[in-house]
Amino acid sequence: MNPYVLAILLFGLGLGTTITFASSHLTTAWMGLEINTLAILPLMAQHHHPRAVEATTKYFLTQATAAAMLLFATTTNAWITGQWDIQQITHPLPMTMLPLALALKIGLAPLHAWLPEVLQGLDLTTGLILSTWQKLAPFALLLQIPPHNPNMLIILGLTSTLVGGWGGLNQTQLRKILAISSIAHLGWMILVLQFSPSLTLLTLILYFAMTFSTFVVFKINKSTNINSLATSWAKTPALTAIIPLVLLSLGGLPPLSGFMPKWLILQELVAQGLLPTATITAFSALFSLYFYLRLSYAMTLTISPNTPMGLTPWRLHTHQSTLPLAVCTMTTIALLPLTPLSITLFTP
Amino acid sequence: MLAPVLLFLFGWVVGSIVVAANPSPYFAALGLVFVAGMGGSVLVLHGASYLCFVLLLVYLGGMLVVFAYTSAMAADPYPETLGSLGVLKSLAVYFSGLLIVCIFVWGRRGAESGDFSFEGDEFGMCRGDIEGVAYMYSAGGWTLMTCGWALLLTLFVVMELIRGPSRGALRAV
Repeated sequence: MNPYVLAILLFGLGLGTTITFASSHLTTAWMGLEINTLAILPLMAQHHHPRAVEATTKYFLTQATAAAMLLFATTTNAWITGQWDIQQITHPLPMTMLPLALALKIGLAPLHAWLPEVLQGLDLTTGLILSTWQKLAPFALLLQIPPHNPNMLIILGLTSTLVGGWGGLNQTQLRKILAISSIAHLGWMILVLQFSPSLTLLTLILYFAMTFSTFVVFKINKSTNINSLATSWAKTPALTAIIPLVLLSLGGLPPLSGFMPKWLILQELVAQGLLPTATITAFSALFSLYFYLRLSYAMTLTISPNTPMGLTPWRLHTHQSTLPLAVCTMTTIALLPLTPLSITLFTP
Repeated sequence: MLAPVLLFLFGWVVGSIVVAANPSPYFAALGLVFVAGMGGSVLVLHGASYLCFVLLLVYLGGMLVVFAYTSAMAADPYPETLGSLGVLKSLAVYFSGLLIVCIFVWGRRGAESGDFSFEGDEFGMCRGDIEGVAYMYSAGGWTLMTCGWALLLTLFVVMELIRGPSRGALRAV
C-alpha cells in the first residue's frame, strides 16, 4: 500500500481511539468509533482478493449498524433527558441500547456471528489490529456507562463464554479459533463489568498480551490452519517450545498469567452471590481449554523433532521484529506472582 | 401544526421503505430525494429553515447528484424498480413491519417537539439553526476540524478501496 495512505490510515486508527477515550459527550465518542471503523477498512481489503473484500464488507455493515444503534441511543437519551454526557445516562431505554450496540461492535454473543467470518478473511496482522486495538474504544464507553440492568450484562457474558467454548470445538482454521477465543474472553470481561470495572480492564490488557503473542507466533510460522502448525518445530524451535504455555495461558491454567483474570473474576462473582453463574462460566472455560490444548498438541506435543515425513516448508529469515513478541510472551507466562500489583494498577 | 408534520414524517418513512426495497441505485436515489424533501419540510415546520436549505443544497444538490452521475457511469443498464415482483415483496415486508411498529406507538404521547426560532420582545428573532452554525465555527472549532478530517479520511478510504481497474473485487469493471 502507498506509504502515505498507510500513514493516514494508521493515524486515523490512533485518532479514533484517542477521541473516544477523551470524550465525555456521546457524539464525540461516536465520532471516534466511526473514524476507527473507516480507517481500518482499506487495511482489511488491501490484498483485494474476494475473501478479504467480503470480510471488509461484513465488518463495515456490522460496525455501521452498531454505530447507528449507538447514535439512536444517544439521540433518544438527548430527547428524553436533554443531556449528552456518557456517565449521566439514567433513562432505561438508552441504558439498555448502548451496551447492546457496543456488544455488536466488539462481537459479544449473541451478536458475535460476524467475528469468525470477518477474521477468517483477513491476514494475521490486520486480524491482530481488529482483535486488540478495535476493542479499546468500545470498552472505554462500556466502562463509563452506569449499569442499569444487572441481568443483561450477565446474560451477554454467559452466552459469550459458552459460545466461545462450543464454537471452537470443531475448528481447524486458526483465525476462526482466535475469533472464538476473543468472544470467550470478551464474555469474561463483560461478566464482571458491573461489579469491578478494574477487573474488566485487567482482563482486557492481559488478553491483549496473550492474543498478541498468539497472532505473532502464527504469523512467524506463516500458518493459518492446524496442519501447517505441525512443522513449526523445524522453523522456530524456541517458539514451538513456548507456544503451549501461551495457549494454556489463554485457556486460563495456573501458574500462567491467564489464570489471574479468571481467578479474580470468579472470586468477584462468588462475592456477589452469583454462584451458578460462576460455575457455568468456569465450566465453559473447559471447552475453550480443549481447543487450546489441541493447538498445543498439534504444534509441540505430538512427536519429538525427527526426520520429516513430508515436504518441509522453506525456512526463510523472518523480518518480524522480536521484541514485542518477547515482551508479550513473558507477560503471558510469568505475570501471575504479580497479581496484587496488577490489581492495584488497575484500581482507580 | 400536527397534521402536516405527521404527513411529512409518514412520507419520510415511506420514502425510506422505497430506498430500502429498490435494487437499482437510480430509483433508490430518487427515494432519497423524496426522503430529504420530507425531512426538510419537517425542519421548516419546526422553524429551522436554514438547516433545510443547507440540506437540500449540499445533500441533494451536491452529494446525491455526484452519486447519481457516478452510478450512471458504472451501474446496471436495465434497472429493476417498483414495478417488479421481487421489489413488491420487499415493499410488502417493510410495510407490514411499519404496521407492527405503528400498532405499538400510535397515539402514545412522546416528548414535546420544540421550535428552532422564536420572536423576541423587540425587533429581532432568535434563530436556533443559524446560531448553531455560528457556534460550530466559533466554540466548536476543534470539533469542526475533526469532522473535516474524518471526511477527508473517508475520501482516502474510498479511494483506496476502489483503486485499480479490474484489480479489486468491488468493481465490475
